[in-house]
This record gives sequence, C-alpha cells and structure tokens, in this order.
Amino acid sequence: MKPASFEYFAPTSVADAVSLLQEHGLEAKLLAGGQSLVPLLNMRLARPTVVIDVNRVDGLSYVREDGDALAIGAMTHQREVERAELVQRVNPLLHAATRLIGHPQIRNRGTVGGSIAHADPAAELPAVALALDAEMHITGPNGEKAVPAADFFVTYLTTTLEPAEMLTEVRVPALPQGTGWSIQEMARRHGDFALAGATVTLSMNGGMCSDARVVLFGVGATPLRVQQAEERLIGERVDAALISEIGREISSSIDEPLADIHATSEYRRNLAGVLTERALVEALGRAA
Amino acid sequence: MTFEFPKSLDDLPISSPKWVGKPVNRVEDPQLVTGKTEFIDNITLPGMVHCAILHSPHAHARIKSIDMSRAAALLGVVATLTGEDAERWSRPMYTTPQGWGGYVLATDKVRFVGEPVAAVAATSRYIAEDALELIDVEYEPIDPIVDAFSAAQPGSPKVFEEHDDNIMYQRVFTWGEVDESFQKADHVYKESFRWNRVGANPLETFGVISEWDLVDDTLTCRGAFQTASFMAMGRAATFRLPSNKVRFIAQPHGGSFGGKGGGRGTDITLMLSRKAAGRPVKWIEDRMEYLSSGGSQAWDRHYEASIAVNDDGTVTALRVKLLDDMGATAEGFGATGAVKPMASFTGCYAIPNAEYDLTLVATNKLPASPYRGMGPPPHNFVLEQMMDIAARDLGLDPAEMRRRNFIPADQFPYIIASGNEYDSGEYEAALDKVLEMAGYEQLRREQEEARAQGRHVGIGVVSTIEPGVFDWNAYTVIGTQGIGIPEGVTVAIDTMGKITARVGFALEGQGQYTVVTQLLAEYFGVELEDVRVVLADNLSAPPNFGPGGSRLGVAITGAVLGAAQRLTEKLTKVAAKLFEVQPEDVELLDGMLRVKSVPESQLSVANAAAIMLNRSDMLPPDVDPSPQATFAWTAPGRVEPDEQGRVKSYLTAANACHLVMVEVDPDTGQVEILKYYIADDCGTRLNPANVEGMVQGAVAQGVGATLLEEYVYDDDGQLLTASFMDYLLPTIHEVPFPEKAALVTPSPFTPLGAKGAGESAIHTTPAAIMCAINDALLPLGVRAKEVPASPNRLWKLIQGASG
Repeated sequence: MKPASFEYFAPTSVADAVSLLQEHGLEAKLLAGGQSLVPLLNMRLARPTVVIDVNRVDGLSYVREDGDALAIGAMTHQREVERAELVQRVNPLLHAATRLIGHPQIRNRGTVGGSIAHADPAAELPAVALALDAEMHITGPNGEKAVPAADFFVTYLTTTLEPAEMLTEVRVPALPQGTGWSIQEMARRHGDFALAGATVTLSMNGGMCSDARVVLFGVGATPLRVQQAEERLIGERVDAALISEIGREISSSIDEPLADIHATSEYRRNLAGVLTERALVEALGRAA
Repeated sequence: MTFEFPKSLDDLPISSPKWVGKPVNRVEDPQLVTGKTEFIDNITLPGMVHCAILHSPHAHARIKSIDMSRAAALLGVVATLTGEDAERWSRPMYTTPQGWGGYVLATDKVRFVGEPVAAVAATSRYIAEDALELIDVEYEPIDPIVDAFSAAQPGSPKVFEEHDDNIMYQRVFTWGEVDESFQKADHVYKESFRWNRVGANPLETFGVISEWDLVDDTLTCRGAFQTASFMAMGRAATFRLPSNKVRFIAQPHGGSFGGKGGGRGTDITLMLSRKAAGRPVKWIEDRMEYLSSGGSQAWDRHYEASIAVNDDGTVTALRVKLLDDMGATAEGFGATGAVKPMASFTGCYAIPNAEYDLTLVATNKLPASPYRGMGPPPHNFVLEQMMDIAARDLGLDPAEMRRRNFIPADQFPYIIASGNEYDSGEYEAALDKVLEMAGYEQLRREQEEARAQGRHVGIGVVSTIEPGVFDWNAYTVIGTQGIGIPEGVTVAIDTMGKITARVGFALEGQGQYTVVTQLLAEYFGVELEDVRVVLADNLSAPPNFGPGGSRLGVAITGAVLGAAQRLTEKLTKVAAKLFEVQPEDVELLDGMLRVKSVPESQLSVANAAAIMLNRSDMLPPDVDPSPQATFAWTAPGRVEPDEQGRVKSYLTAANACHLVMVEVDPDTGQVEILKYYIADDCGTRLNPANVEGMVQGAVAQGVGATLLEEYVYDDDGQLLTASFMDYLLPTIHEVPFPEKAALVTPSPFTPLGAKGAGESAIHTTPAAIMCAINDALLPLGVRAKEVPASPNRLWKLIQGASG
C-alpha cells in the first residue's frame, strides 16, 4: 500500500496553486485533508502524477459571520466547524451535519472544502450545502466566481470545478430563526458513510408550512433535492398523516439508487422514505 | 519423577496468596503504552531489502507465462521470485486434509483472487510495489467455482484437477442411538442456517524479516509468529533443511486470533533472501493483502440441524450437517475449525445421542484460516437457535428449556456424546446468576410493555462451553499431526536472587508474561519486579507451542509450577546441608527454606541460589551449581480417537451464560443492544483482570460476527470487502460493555484448577444476540437464520412478514 510515484508541490498562495493546476491540468490533484485522496493514492486507485498540497496556503482556514451567512474557508478543518460556537448558533443544521462526518480523528484532518469538492454523494456536507443554498467561491485562471450549490454537484465525485479551479470558500446562509431542521442518516456503524440520509428544513407560520427543503443523500449520484415533497408541505398543516404519505412517496418515486453489498436499491429507497419521515417529525418539533 | 501439581491457590508455598488470583497490572503494559514494544516493522537490519508480492487478480486462471524481466531491470530491485523458484527449492505447502494445496507461489494456475503469483525484493517498499506493475503475467481465465453447493455437486468444475471432485473431506460421525431417538421423540425440529465468512483481524497484520545464510544454509526469521517453534519445524520440512538450522525469533505482535499464519510470506521472503545473496528481506503484509490473501477469513458455513425433543423439553438427540466452504486450499489449518465443535458438540446439555455430517468443500476463494474459538461459535449459534425453536413450540421459557437440559453439577467429569470429557461445571448456577443480575422477570415485563407499544424488543438467554487446552489428538480425525506439543519454561535464579523465566512464546496481547510473573513471585515469595520473563528463540527455548486453543494460560502454569518445584528441590538440598538436616526436613514457605521443626533456621531462596553459584564448598555433592530448572507441561491422559472420532481432546470446559436484550427497528432493520449480562466460569482465575479483558474483547468479535462482519465474494470470485470500508469491524460505538459476573468451579485436571479462557465470549455472543433478535421478531412470525443479521437482511425478512 504505497502510492505510485508523483511530483509533489506545496504552494503557499491560492495564485500559485491555481497556476500549478493550470500547468499540470488533469494530471494534478489537490491535497487538502487527505481523508479520501491519501487512501486512494496508497491503494493506487488514484494515480495523479502531480499532487499539489494546499495545506500551506495561507488564509483558507476560517469561520466567520459575514452578514446573513457563514463564510468558511475551504481548508477549515471539519472539527473546527463542529467546535465553533458561531456555527452552532447561526446554523445548527450545519453543526449537526458536521458531527456526523466519520470520527473525531477524521474531522481533525478533513476539510470543509475537501469534502465538498470530493462530492461523495453519501457525504453530509454536500447534502447540507444543497439544503442550505450554500455558495461555492472558486478561484481559477480567470479570477473568482461564485456557484450555487444547486449548480455545483454534477454526478458521482464530480463537480463543475474546472481542472485549473480551486474551491476557496463556502458561504452558508444562516438558518433563519424559528426554522425547524433535522438531519437523519442510517449507517452500518457510527461514523460510516450513510447508506442513505435525509435533511429537512421547515418554516412554519400560523400552523402552516411556509417553506420547506428536503434533501436526500446516499441515494443518487449527487445530493437530491426533492421538490415534489417540498411542494406537498408548503401551505399545509404538517401532520403525521402527511409525513408518512411523503415518506411513502419518496420510497416509491425516487430513481433506483445504486446497490452495494450493504444495501440493495430497494432497501435504500425504503431508507430514504423512513429517514425523511423521521427528519420531518424532528424538524417540525423544532420549528417555532 | 512424578509431580503433584498444586490443585488450588491454597497449595502454593505461601501463607496467603499475594499475586496469583489478583487483578495485578500487566507487566507487558508499560512498554506497550509508551510505544517501546518492538514490533516487527520497527526492526531494520543492515542490508535489509523489502518484499512486495504480486497477487492474482483472477479467482481461477491458468498461468500461461510470467515475465519478470522488466521488473528485474528496475533500479533498486534486488531479486525476483516466481513459482518456478518455489518448485525448485521448496515442497508444496503442508495442508490438512493433506494434498489440497500447491506451492507458496502459484505454478500452473491460480485458485483465488489474491493468491501470490510472484514477488520482488527491492531497496524500498515503494520501489518493490512499482516493480510489481512491471511484471507481465499472461492468464487464461477459467470459470470460477464460487458457490459451495455447486462445488460439492458431482461433475462440478474442479479446483484441483488431480482430485476426483472438490470434496476435501466428508464423513458422518454417529454417536449413540441417533435414528432411534429421532423416531421415538415427541417432537422433531429441523432448520437450516447460514453463517457467512468472517475471520480474525488483529491490529497488526503479519510481518517477517528472513535471512537465508548461503554459507552454512541456516535460516533466521524474525516475525509476528504466533507459534514460532511450530513454524520453524515447518520451514525445515519445506526447504528440506536440518531442523536445527532454522532459527525463529518471534517478535511481540499486535494480536493474532488465528490470523497470523504467515507461512507463505515467510517462505517467499526466505527464497528472496536466498536469491539476494542472503540479505535480510522484510515483508509487512498490508491490510488489503491481509484481507484478500492473508489469514483473515474463516467459517463459511451452511448448516442443517435437527433436534429430537420430548414433551418435557429434554433433548434426546442432535443432528448437525455442515457444508463448510474452505476456499481454494487446505493450508493454514482452517479445516481444524470444522472438527473442533466435536469437543463441545452438545454444548452444556446432556444430549446423549448426536450425529455430525461434515463436508469440507474447495472453492475459488481465499483458503480458510483459524479464528478465535476455532469453529464452535457458528455451531453454538445453530445449537442455541434450535433450543429456542423447541422452547417456543413447547411453550417453555428459553431459560427453563436450558435448565431442563443442563448436565447436572454432580455428573462431572462428564463425557459428552462426541467423546470429549468435561472436567467440571455448574451450568445452572451460571444461569441463575445471569437471571438474577438481569432481573429476568422484570425484564420480561419490560419486554411485554414494549411489545404493547409496538416496539420489537427481544431477550436471548444462552449457555455455551469453551473447550480449553487442546492437544495433539484433537484434530487427528482430519489428518493433522503434531499439533499440541508441550509448553515449557526454564526458571533461573541469579546470584543476586533475581528470577528469570525463559519461554518460547512472544507477547501477543493475552497477558501470559504477567501470569508467569505472578506465579513465580508467589512461589518464591518475591515482588513482581524481581521476576523477568524473556523470550527465547526456537533453538534455545524449552519445548513449546505458544498460544492457541485456549491452552497457554493453563499450560504455562503447569510448566512454571513444575520448574519451580524442581528448582525448589535443589535449593532444599542446599539448605539441608547448611542446617545439617535431611532435605525432607526442609520446606519452602513465603520465600524461605526452613527447617520444619526449627522454623527459625531459615535461608532465603536468594541466598540458597547464591550459595549454589558462589560457594562450591557448601554445595551438596549431588547438586550442580545451577539454580535453574526446566519443565515442560502437557495434558495428561490423551489418547487416540475411537472409530467414531470420539476422543478426550480438550482438557478443560469453561462455560458462560449470556443474557442479551435487543430492539429491532422494523423500518430499518437496525439492531440495538439494550442490555447485556454475562456470568462465566473458567475455574480458578489466575488474573481476573486478564480474564475480563478476554471476555470483553470476545464480545466485540461476537458482535462483529453477528451484526457487521462478512467477507463477500461476487459470482466471479472477486472479493468485495478488501478494505475496512466494507469489511465492517465493530468500533467502540457498536460494542456493549456487559455487566459481568465470575463463577469459579475449579478444574480437577489442571494446576491450580484454572481452565482455558482465551476464546471466551466469542463462543456465546453470536448465539445470544441472534436468540434475542429472534425473540424480538417473534410477534412478526419471522426468524432470522443468517449472520450477520445486517439491517438490510432483517428489513427484508420483516417486509416478507408484513407483505
């Protein structure tokens, strides 16, 4: 379990990192926390000829409040987000989702930007990024741009990032006061990638649902927003009957998820429905 | 000379025990927790090179050609090796049953994904792995044989062309009046079960550094060997070398659980060293290699069982039919796991008649290895499910069902139907203890309440045996010879009065160095710090085997007490001469040799030893100036199996009763362990903390096997669980910490009355959790019969019930 040989760079600025990416194109891989890339390298399942280690790039590790949003540097360790009182206050859903990533050892090394750019469809951060309308700040050869989460995830392990682009910041809008929220997932063991998961935000106004967001993960090629379910919620009194109806609809309507040795596609669909129901119940209980 | 071993702690030469039987801190731990223990990968020898092994990507393929030239040409590559070298220099691997294996590197064809095909030695592991990519192998794939049932059919394609079929072994053992008992029974219950492939996963994989000295043809291997002397003997046979030219130095290692076979890696590195002009060659098995081609896999079983039961719940006969998928070869002693259940075939129960219909079949999977428990855990799972099935049908509480079938406490020693002798036991007392700890009746009420709320809560209560201290005769029925040799120790007292014990087994985690230290400190009345245990290589150690089959704690206790007694005899003579009395007038008590009639006339053990070494004038004429003694212990009364395989194989029978309460989430199939209680009895506890650690660790492995772990192969024979992403070991979050109670029924057959306790709860936990799951599922009318009981499997089962 030793990686194939590669050339190693450790730039200290985003500009240098981007120009290295430009120079080496598809042959290059950015190394952030290394929680996915390093095992892939060691198993020789990934064989980039160039590794650009961005751990020495200054100024990419921070969590700050910026207006109505959290600005999180791409190289911020997940553990830092988890421990930031600011995150817990401004966006408890993001906080809860972060705690579901792996184990403390993994979150000590894993980064927010690394997880989102890696785009594993069973990962928590891409799902909440989509659920919370996060915005990806990207630097490339032509300067900076912002891409909404809804446009960012393309398919398995693939985003709209161009070969010479680098994710530098994730902006996550604050969860408005009174919004109910929940993230539910089913994993074989504590800390494993979810077999399936669901995250819900719910705004209630005078007993009626005024806004809802339902996002599933682990059941498709990207995190999946279920607009059909959101439409069924908005304008309704959310009760047990509606919740179980939505659960059933999700179980029967989502595209057949991939099967693996831990979960058949049928079981994953069931989980998507069950976990959505549980997330709706919890979110409803939290909504003010 | 005959020895009278102390039967209990009271028989030791001390006024009151200070160390033995106490939870003393392990002497191994300061080195371990400070990172000072020297594991094999910490060792670098001058001129050492690194081995990497090319593994087959095919489950079944003919090798058309292997071209090593590009690999050999890579800068840094020192030697390359293929099956041709193995054919020239070695014998085919020893297998049980015999004749079901090839060379350590494939020659004509590959038989499983991961089979070693070629190897290189290079100046770094990186270069060695790069070189593997330059080896050109031309394969001609053959249809893989993956399904055990198909493989066992006549006319199936064959794993070994030279055999008539894929049946490695087939035999029906019949004990007693089995047919008649089933005909006469009031009730007969029959069920089939599936135990999927699981296996050992020590923290540290196998590793070795081998040297082949070309001048005098001596071999030296340092490595993570569980049984160094046994390995050394095997290498002498493999390479046709005089056995005293093979030196094996076992390093401390990070556990084994049966997975540290390492024969292939050892032989490959030895031959690479031979090719590299004798340079030391290191190979550290990485985790993917371990999972796909190491000692990681065991017990891939398809069961059919039936029991004959009377109206009152007494079981009169048990039939078990096992098809065990051994994988591609019979190397590594995996097959012994199918035979060991005979040592405790009918569990804790007085079932007079039994039958074992055993078939071992070859398929294109990784050869099965030993795993902690060595085979009975799946058998116990089957037996205990059958007990529950009968109890349900008869309207008996599962605890009562067991109570009615226990071997009564006054019937020991007791010979079970399959021939093994149980030394002692109080099974009902263990059950009562667990029921009391759990508050069983209250727990059943809680269960009723939960059910009324629509929750699926279940309770499992099971009792099992842990056969301990195996011997040479345990596995002869499948052709295994020479396993189960004595365990020895040399005890020496130096001129400063300090005690050194030389043993032949390395640190592996079970704490036996602590046990040796406790025993010697106790016997000679000194502090633990005054005793040191050191490891000897196979050429300088007394006869030894090492850990395995829950034997070492008992065996080394016998060895230490024997050596201490021998040494005391010498010291007594010295004291007798000094005090001008006869040796029989002198006794050892609390570290002093004293004249029985004049207790003030006393000489310390340290002084007696110093006199022996330093004062030839004071030495009795029949005593040599050597305060040392060696003793090797072996179990008494071992004989060959009879015509039905019946044999007194395992000297001790520990027992345990587990009570588990679980809840099954019917929407997801997820199992949560709510409560867990254990009462276990392994006789005298030499170190209760050690035993508790054994129990806790074995619970973890039992939880893994029951709920999480499974080696999965696809239809092409590709392993789908070659990393810990997919082979799911339990973590601290998944493992309950049961409330534990100890019962002590000493063994009448062993020194101090201790019983083998190393395998422990893995015998019981899977059975207990599955019984609890099935109790939870009872209102749904479905029963889980396959482990691991994964959420997906249970959910599907529940869907079938409601749909």
